This record gives sequence, structure tokens and C-alpha cells, in this order.
Amino acid sequence: MTETSRKSFIARNPSVLYFLALLGLFTAIVVVLSEATGAGLIPTSFVKTLGKTLCLCLIAIAMDVVWGYCGILSLGHFAFFGIGGYAIGMWLMYARTELIVLESLVGQVIPPTPQEVSDAIGNQIFGVVGSSEFPLIWFFADNLFIQLAFVVLVPGALALVFGWLAFRSRVTGVYLSILTQAMTLALALYLFQNDSGLRGNNGLSGLQNIPGFAASGQDVVSIVFFLASAAALGLGYLLFAWITDSKLGNIIQAIRDDESRVRFLGYHVESYKLFVFTVTAIVAGIAGALYYPQAGIINPAEIAPIASIYLAVWVAIGGRGRLYGAVIGAALVSLLSSWFTGGGAPAINLEFYEIQWVDWWLVLLGLTFVLVTLFAPNGIGGLIDKLVRKS
Amino acid sequence: MKTLLEMSGISKSFDGFQAINNLSLQIGEPELRAVIGPNGAGKTTFMDIITGKTKPDEGYILFGDNNRSLLGMSESQIATLGIGRKFQKPTVFEGQSVRENLAMALKNPRGPFAVLLYRKTAEGAARLEQIADEINLTDHLTRPAGELSHGQKQWLEIGMLLAQSPRLLLVDEPAAGMTAQEREHTTDILKRAAETRAVIVVEHDMEFVRRLNCKVTVLHEGSVLAEGSLDHVTKNQTVIDVYLGRTDAGD
Repeated sequence: MTETSRKSFIARNPSVLYFLALLGLFTAIVVVLSEATGAGLIPTSFVKTLGKTLCLCLIAIAMDVVWGYCGILSLGHFAFFGIGGYAIGMWLMYARTELIVLESLVGQVIPPTPQEVSDAIGNQIFGVVGSSEFPLIWFFADNLFIQLAFVVLVPGALALVFGWLAFRSRVTGVYLSILTQAMTLALALYLFQNDSGLRGNNGLSGLQNIPGFAASGQDVVSIVFFLASAAALGLGYLLFAWITDSKLGNIIQAIRDDESRVRFLGYHVESYKLFVFTVTAIVAGIAGALYYPQAGIINPAEIAPIASIYLAVWVAIGGRGRLYGAVIGAALVSLLSSWFTGGGAPAINLEFYEIQWVDWWLVLLGLTFVLVTLFAPNGIGGLIDKLVRKS
Repeated sequence: MKTLLEMSGISKSFDGFQAINNLSLQIGEPELRAVIGPNGAGKTTFMDIITGKTKPDEGYILFGDNNRSLLGMSESQIATLGIGRKFQKPTVFEGQSVRENLAMALKNPRGPFAVLLYRKTAEGAARLEQIADEINLTDHLTRPAGELSHGQKQWLEIGMLLAQSPRLLLVDEPAAGMTAQEREHTTDILKRAAETRAVIVVEHDMEFVRRLNCKVTVLHEGSVLAEGSLDHVTKNQTVIDVYLGRTDAGD
């Protein structure tokens, strides 16, 4: 046997170690500088932004595995992200409303019946869509553990069914991309309806208030979610590094490069695609479940087709086929995006015209995407690889 | 020599064009067989039908000891049954190393979970080294397959076929674009492979077929025109008219 096969997983993938070390260092710095636990140099709102960014990095590495490694350009992974968010959001909203309702009923002479409590909660949650009835999908909303299971099970089941139908019919390339767009669009349109059971375009809100932790301020809550997001990203990175380093990693890259050749080697290509599609969908669901409590609100616009296209743009700019590339792309582009569109970037006055970045950011992003595609097809990660190899 | 593959009465037409017309053919185990024929004789469709890429309109194909019908099986099922195919254009996975290419082909469980949890074994490594030696690529195991020369890629693909441990090998124009020396080595690899299994070589190059020194099947307009030794079929007047005569005139 040669050296390569005897080396350990970490020795074969030194970038995993570097990534985890950098992530740990970054997390420590943020905690030390945060308002809750440290010097207070990083405002709580920015801790939340950073925590959300980590979640976006997590879905980006999932996207990189499904697209960069397996060659399936899914433009629907944000649907899974959104479903994860809705699943946890239902519990957050229910449990918190229940606490508020119970509080308001304290001191009444006649203790309220469970039905009255339930009606009051329903009224609070569904009043905006002119209803007070709990739809069937809220049946388990009072149970945190079942809703947590849904974070994993619902995206996984949807991906399994959708992927089985699509891959079995050998839908590939741009047709598959269009199909995934249709999936996420259909889901968004459905959720926009008031009678979808998830409050239509109002979505679920107040998700930043964690039931039972009303006493702890948002500064503490934000750090807890930030740490959880960092841990999820670290574990997700390890999982995907292990998958892509395994022999299955070889096979899915071979499927990307020449699908029919892999069939003649005796591999059932569709099972492999289905495996990758489903696993990445589950990770996307987990990322969403961590993201939306930090965002505070989720509504159907979040899973509009454009969101999944952005995801592909991040991964392309960061560099496909390398996990750290996806992290770089997602972090850089999403942070820049909130800087430019959030009024952080100063407007440029050209005398005859003033460049407002809110209007021009998309143009800038589009230009960057075109330039990267033309001049650095392997993205920022590819440029880093080149530098490392030279030195 | 017992029969390994039996095709009988196979027909296939594409939009009215009769690519394969009532083709019947038997291959023994072990056997080395060359299939020749002019362009459009149906050589590629013949291979597509055996490997499950194309479904025939009529006829049946039986394979193996239990005479299992190949019709209705998927490409991957047929491949796992023991039929390997090498394409005309070398198709190796260029981004991955020679070792990884061979390892993917090695006969092992093919399900996603088995593959995900697969651990390298000493046995597999030894088999891999042995194949690498056979195809002259021992010194190139860690190189990306894309860096290999054209001839080396052809060998790698033959090596990947061997790694699958198939009972029947379908090899499409293995000598295309090779130097004289490389051709000689390719002949050796194929002859050695045919000592224990069935090998069907589809080839244009008469010199190469002569060197294989085996039974030849001449295809024409989708059916068998003649069968026998190369000398026998080249003396056949119909063969000369439709094929050899034409190439001679072309040259």
C-alpha cells in the first residue's frame, strides 16, 4: 500500500483542521467582544447578523455538495431551509403565545377551561388571517421535540419524494434546475395563501423571543444561537468533508463528470443522487431552524425562487467543489449584501447622478458573478488553491 | 467452451432506419472475438443493446449459466451481472487519480451506504496494484487521469474494465489513436484477459484484428454477414464487396 491510503482523514484533508480552527477562533473573538459575555464592542444586532451568516454558510456547503460535487444544480434548496424555519417557528410562536395567554388569564375568578385557553391562543396567532382555529399541521406545535424532529423529517421527506420522482425519470441539467425552481415557487405561493395554515404572507413572527427565557435579554439569546450556529456549521463541515472524502465522494464527482459512464461501472446513479439531495436538504432544514430564531420572522418571501438562485451565486463566487469556497462565498456575499443594502455603504455622488447602493447592489453582484464566471471559474476558493500551490 | 452470451433474432430500428436486423450471435467463455464492419453496420447499437442502453424491438439476449434474459434490465444491473464496456472515446474521470478511477471500478458492493462506509482492504489494494501493472500504469497511480496520454487513458479504461472482474468485456476500438508500440501492448492485455473470460473487440483496423488472431464476425446493415477466421472472412466475396473492397477503393 502507498502512503495515501494509510493517512488519517485529517491528514488527507488538512483544510478541515484549518477551517475548524478558524471557526473556533472567530467564535471565541465574537463571544469575548459581545455585549452579553464580554467587552460589549459587538452590538447584539451584529452578533445576530454573524450568527445568521453562519447558518447561510451551512446551507452553502450543502449546496456545494449537491452542485459542486454531485453536479445537481438544485435551485430549490432554500425551500428546505424555509421549512426548517417554519417547523421551529411554529413551536416558538405557539409556546410564547401560550405563556402570554396564561399570564393574562391569571387572577380570573373562574379558572379557564383548556378549550378557552386554546381558543385564546388560536385567536392571537390566527387573528391576522381572520381565523382562530388551529389548522391540522399545528397539531404538534406545543411539543418542542416533535417540531425539532420535523426540522429534519419534513425537508428530508420532501427531498426524498421530489428527488425520487425527478431522478428516476432521468431529469438532469437545466431541466432539473427548472423543476427545483418550480418546487420552491409552488411552496412559496401556497404559503402566501391565508388559509395555508401558516399565516399567509404575515408568516411567523416574534421568533427571537424564546419561551421560558423571557428573563434573559436578547444579548444572551443571541450569543446562545450564535454558538449553536457555529457548532452546527462545524459539524456540518465535518460531515460533508467526510462524505466527500469517502469513496462515495469519488462516485458523486464521477456522476458529475460523466453520469452514463458511472452506470456502466455498475452503480445505480439515481440512488446516489437521491442520497446526496436528501442529506443536503436535511442540513438545509437544520440551517433554517437556526437562522429564523435569529432573524425573528419568517414569511413565504424567504423561499421565493430568487433565494435559491442567490445560494447558487454564493457558491459559484466562492468556488465550487471545495467546501471552504462555499463558506467564503456565502459569508462574503451575504455580509456585503447587508452592508450595501442596509445603508452601510456610503452613496457615491457623481455630480450628475448619485449612486445609491440599495439600487445598485444587485448590479454589482451580477457583474461580479459574470466576471467570476469568465475569469475565475473556480471562484475565490480556486484562486486560494492556486496561491497555496505556488507557495 | 460453453456459451456465455446468446443473442437471437435481435432487431432495432430508429425512426425507420433499421440499425440491427435479425441479428443472432453467440459468444463462449473464454473467447476472444473481433467484430468488424463498415460504418453504419450497427456495431455501436449492437453494444448498446447488450449493455442495456438501447432496448431492442425484437429478439432475446441470454447471459450466464442460468440463461438470464438481459432485456428489461438497467445499465447498472447488467454491469453488476458481469458485463463491462469500454467506449470508443476513452472516458475516464479526468479530475480523479488513476488509483481512484480503478478503485471505483473494483468489484465491491455498489449501494450508496456500502460505498459511503467502504474501507480500503489490503486485498483490494493488491488487486489494484496487479491491474495497474497489467496496464503499465504502476508509476502513474497518483496522477490525475486527465494528465495521461491518449494511449494511457485507453489502458486505464481497459484496466477499469478488468477491475470490475466482468465475465464479458465489450471493447470499442481500443487501438484508436495509439502508436505501434502501444497497440502491441493493448493486444497483449486483451489476449490475456480473454484467457479467462469472453472479450468482444469492435475494431476498424484490420492489422490490429489480424494480430488478435481470433474468430471474426463481420456485421453489415445490422446483421451477421460472415463469421470465421480473418483469412476465411476476407476471402468471402460478399465481405470483399461490401467492406474490404470499399476500404481498398477509399485508400
